[in-house]
Amino acid sequence: MSHPEAVRSGAARKPAMRRFADAAEPWFYAAPVLTLIVAVMLVPLLLGLSYAFRDIQLLNPFSGAFIGLEHFKTLARDDAFYRALKNTLWWTGASVFLQFALGLVLALLLDKPFPGRGLAQALVFLPWAVPTFLAGLNWAWLFNPVIGPLPHWMAALGILSAPDNILADPHLAMWGPIIANVWWGIPFFAITLLAALQAIPRDIYEAAAIDGAGPLQRFLSITLPFLAPTIAITILLRTVWIANFADLIIVMTNGGPADRTQIVASYIFTQAFRRLDFGYASAIALVLLVLLLAYSMLIVVIRQRLIEKD
Amino acid sequence: MASIALSRVGKSFGTHSVLSEVDLDIKDGEFVVLVGPSGCGKSTLLRMIAGLEDITSGTLTIDGQRVNDLKPKDRDIAMVFQSYALYPHMNVADNMSYSLRLRRRSKEVIAAAVSAASGKLGLDPYLERRPKALSGGQRQRVAMGRAIVRKPKAFLFDEPLSNLDARLREQMRAEIKRLHAELGATSVYVTHDQIEAMTLASRIVAMNAGSVQQIGAPLDLYDRPANLFVAGFIGSPGMNFLEGRCEQGPENSTVVLSRGYRLPLSVRIPAADGETVTLGIRPEHVTVAPDGQIDAAVELVEPTGLGIILHLIVHGESFKLFTTDRALLQPQATLRINLPKERLHVFDQSGNRLAVM
Repeated sequence: MSHPEAVRSGAARKPAMRRFADAAEPWFYAAPVLTLIVAVMLVPLLLGLSYAFRDIQLLNPFSGAFIGLEHFKTLARDDAFYRALKNTLWWTGASVFLQFALGLVLALLLDKPFPGRGLAQALVFLPWAVPTFLAGLNWAWLFNPVIGPLPHWMAALGILSAPDNILADPHLAMWGPIIANVWWGIPFFAITLLAALQAIPRDIYEAAAIDGAGPLQRFLSITLPFLAPTIAITILLRTVWIANFADLIIVMTNGGPADRTQIVASYIFTQAFRRLDFGYASAIALVLLVLLLAYSMLIVVIRQRLIEKD
Repeated sequence: MASIALSRVGKSFGTHSVLSEVDLDIKDGEFVVLVGPSGCGKSTLLRMIAGLEDITSGTLTIDGQRVNDLKPKDRDIAMVFQSYALYPHMNVADNMSYSLRLRRRSKEVIAAAVSAASGKLGLDPYLERRPKALSGGQRQRVAMGRAIVRKPKAFLFDEPLSNLDARLREQMRAEIKRLHAELGATSVYVTHDQIEAMTLASRIVAMNAGSVQQIGAPLDLYDRPANLFVAGFIGSPGMNFLEGRCEQGPENSTVVLSRGYRLPLSVRIPAADGETVTLGIRPEHVTVAPDGQIDAAVELVEPTGLGIILHLIVHGESFKLFTTDRALLQPQATLRINLPKERLHVFDQSGNRLAVM
């Protein structure tokens, strides 16, 4: 320290090996985690992506060749894919909207104090804990007129003209998985919205009550603005999940009747595990990934705009 | 503006009574401060006037009209909350005009009311800002502006300055006083800070444990506290208390303290001979004299700048003395003090005031 110049010139003359070690040191420390991330996340993703450009059919031992954009050309002419895309929009939109609307109503009900509220809050969470395959089987049986009561009730109420299985009716079949999905997904919205509701300071409601706001005005001018960020993020998440969520459809209708309940995710499943065409399934998955990424980016940008406006 | 009258107003949750039989007449334009320690029921009483809490018993009238069962919005009162309770997603102008917009007043009326209020409160540069972009004092002003624009019958304040730092609190206190002088609005103000109560009130209602202890002008409560609670609560540092025994003479009574000090009073107090009484004296009324009657050990010296607070031990009890004599800053182990008889307060065993000195 007494000879700063000597120290500095010493640093300049460091051997190359030493300089490399200094620069690489942080990377060595991070290496175990980086290796893990690459192995667990990037390798499967890249492998999956590469399948989309290769001809991979499990039953054909001579397949596996690189075929460029051939899958995508086929996909562009695949009517079943476009039908699945349309069904996905319908399935996702109806499920998210109903889950959100009913979840919000439930959250508002659970926000008011009443005897036994703790128990009710715990019970509301129950559907979420049911495995999706079990939920799908359960609802498939409920809709089955031989063992389930629902067709008979609906016929008695005049909703159906006869106690038939709606899962077998091409025009109504999509409602089966949607209803099961709504039942299964309401708790997610109810619980997250309830948490957000309970974070709203009570005295803001009191101030509004004194200012002259009725229940509806309090809901519109206080509750909704306070819930808006939570609503935005939960709807974004649920939309992506539900668009990818084929379990219920596979279990309840398997995409039928006549592909009327086939969504993109279940179409991928059908291509990969029934026709065993992994290459084509990967190509569809890639398209779905791009669509969902675009949707997410759109929401993120809108949200950013809203935050900046604040 | 309006008068507010409470007649035997009570509040209980099930069998648990939190407020019992409050009688209070608030005249038009009066500034009444409800003061007491936390949990004394003062906020509950205010919220009952606002309509945010049900009234279990008794009647509440505003301008002669019984309003027990009226919704808050139909009582035509405005309230300022401790947390300000501003609408975070509305800017200052929208916060202030919300009540008028709900009442579907015309745009011109709203703009005029908002600009009048914001001018009075110095909020003109901030009208477009959201509450989170404002300081605590500015938010407090917006909360007051929101109350002012409506021209309500009465203003209710629920500890409005508690979230501000000391300097700002002092400033806003003066501002509220100025505003009240200007608007002449009937106001009910809740605080646990007895300085706020003393400085703002035309009348103070001192409360403890769900009941009213004393109602009167600030200096009345200071000079003639009705009981031990009010005596101890109003004033800072608080009043000193010493126990003694009453000896009745022909002209006057004498209080004999535990070590035999005899303190003759200037009047005869209505107490039995030999009855235990409590003497009270404010720290600023205690005098120091070389030939003082009572010995006191000095425990602690606190200079406040304005004066000095001496923490003493008298008869094994802690005792405070306030003086502006800086000579007393010198460290010393003991002092001799006098308790001037015209400054003494005497309370009976149940804590009620016995004599007016």
